[in-house]
Amino acid sequence: MESLITANIRSRPTRTLISVLAVALGIILMLIVGGIATGTLNDYLQRTRMVGADFILQPSGSTVFYAFSGASLPIKLVDKLLEVPGIRAAVPVLAKFNSSDFGLVFGVDLEKYNRLSGRLKVVEGKESLQADEVIVDELFAKSHQLSPGMKLTLLNHTFTVSAICRVGSVVRVFVSLGTLQELNGTPDKVTAIFIQADKGDLSLAYERLRVAFPGFAIIRTSDASLLLQDTSMPGFKEFLLTVILVSTLLSFMVILLAMYTTIFERTREIGILKSLGASRWFIVGMILKESVIICGFGVLFGAGASAVIRKAIIAAFPTMQVSMSARDLLFACAMGLGSGTLGAIYPAYKAARQDPVTALSYE
Amino acid sequence: MGESVRPHVIETVDLTMIYKSGKVEACALRGVNLVVKEGEFVAVMGPSGCGKSTLLHLLGGLMRPTRGRIFIDGTDIGRLGDAGLTEVRRKKIGYVFQRFNLFPTLTAKGNIELAKKIHGNGHLNARGAEEILEMLGLKDKVAFRPPELSGGEQQRVAIARAVINQPRIILADEPTGSLDSRNARMVLRMMRELNEKLNQTIVMITHDHEAAAMASRIIEMRDGQILHRAQHFAYEPEFEGLF
Ligand SMILES: Nc1ncnc2c1ncn2[C@@H]1O[C@H](COP(=O)(O)OP(=O)(O)OP(=O)(O)O)[C@@H](O)[C@H]1O
Ligand SMILES: [Mg+2]
Repeated sequence: MESLITANIRSRPTRTLISVLAVALGIILMLIVGGIATGTLNDYLQRTRMVGADFILQPSGSTVFYAFSGASLPIKLVDKLLEVPGIRAAVPVLAKFNSSDFGLVFGVDLEKYNRLSGRLKVVEGKESLQADEVIVDELFAKSHQLSPGMKLTLLNHTFTVSAICRVGSVVRVFVSLGTLQELNGTPDKVTAIFIQADKGDLSLAYERLRVAFPGFAIIRTSDASLLLQDTSMPGFKEFLLTVILVSTLLSFMVILLAMYTTIFERTREIGILKSLGASRWFIVGMILKESVIICGFGVLFGAGASAVIRKAIIAAFPTMQVSMSARDLLFACAMGLGSGTLGAIYPAYKAARQDPVTALSYE
Repeated sequence: MGESVRPHVIETVDLTMIYKSGKVEACALRGVNLVVKEGEFVAVMGPSGCGKSTLLHLLGGLMRPTRGRIFIDGTDIGRLGDAGLTEVRRKKIGYVFQRFNLFPTLTAKGNIELAKKIHGNGHLNARGAEEILEMLGLKDKVAFRPPELSGGEQQRVAIARAVINQPRIILADEPTGSLDSRNARMVLRMMRELNEKLNQTIVMITHDHEAAAMASRIIEMRDGQILHRAQHFAYEPEFEGLF
């Protein structure tokens, strides 16, 4: 029986190959697209925490994806924040999306920003953010081959690299707040304010902030799960679900189609099996096992290819994050196998129900 | 339930088969009463369309009659569910077809082993596939696939497949219909050996009088019925010499 299944698989190499590739493609889609989405988010959240603020004040309804937020907070809020008891530092930042390298630029007041525990740790050059100066992190410097003193054009403006800092902030490029406000055409406006509270009870400070700034979003960053909870990520879950759905549907439909055509092609053979006394379950099992083997190869190939693609992406784009945990791998493989097997159920059922005499006279 | 004991391997009572396709009805069998005893080799003859294949399909449980009863080894198979019918096919019946019906992707040995696999294990005196292929003179064709075998060889593999699980009944639908006379004789000789040595009951459809002469009894069919002038043949000595 096993040999009939493998013989069937080998007898139609093109069909087998295409099915295997389609299942693999589903796995790759799930792992790479899903991996980039989750990897980027996790990296982003982690780097947000590394800034060292206890809270982030933003307009309500905005997200930590500053790229979509614009600059709508009046900078005067900083003084009002500092009036709240127990608030030690309030650091305004203007975030601007730089489409040329698909990354964010922070406009900061360096002296204020460095009061946060996640202050810039300069490894090379001079720690300074004058009007046209820019500080980049090591990864950015590496991927753009920059060193202090070199020019860098950002947002149609030429900056000079003053220093290179260690990786460890939410963005990789810093310019002076004033310059960015000017470039953005939004003087006196910022995107978010990082807040640091005095040592002690953070929940008390949180309550005070909420009372004092009712119309704003106050994001807690002290705890990863709180950060995730406070962070509004419009459509992120839906996006991941869509990716999973599309990739599983791909395996499902390809296996359904492949096995469906296969059973027509093998109508006569199914008749012979029945004349030999094969039960319905035997025939169902045969079709299912065949699809499990095809999906198995697809899943293995897909997982292997995904690992290779992930390595290649990270090598080519050092700032890109592709998360791929053992759990993700297992999940994707299970989905690939499961959806493929599900796709084979209907053809298997049809095969098992065939009338033996009609099947035997099938040309 | 007061069932009478049915000692015969095959018995049909008033077996009737009407095919319905749309509003058109075709009566293929009209009240066939047939008894085949253990170890008999019965040849079924008759013109095309008289219902021979229909009879064979019914005897093997491949389909259900419109009316009448079929006893296989004493069991009324009309009362069995699909699973029961499948079991009858698996345990009691071996089929040989005119078109061989081997799996083209499997080797000769693979085809026979598939039948063993379907039959299930625990069959004490099941022979090995290679052993039976050797008995049928196909020792060096074990690893060949059907397209690499001649018609005669394919039919011998098909016979090996039909008998590997030692079913009580072999049902053969024109087993020599696609063979030249030399191969036909070889196949027929094998069938008779199986009948004599293993005491297998054989029902064989044939159009060929020479083939029918190998049987111990010939049944003639006309228009869905059996003609009752059955003859008992003795093997004719002059035939022996031909093989
Ligand atoms: N599936 C079917 N649907 C409708 N009519 C059928 C079907 N199968 C067989 N018949 C009809 O039943 C009758 C008997 O057919 P059967 O195949 O049993 O004949 P046969 O004796 O085996 O003929 P042959 O020697 O040509 O094989 C024929 O008239 C045939 O047309
Ligand atoms: Mg026929």
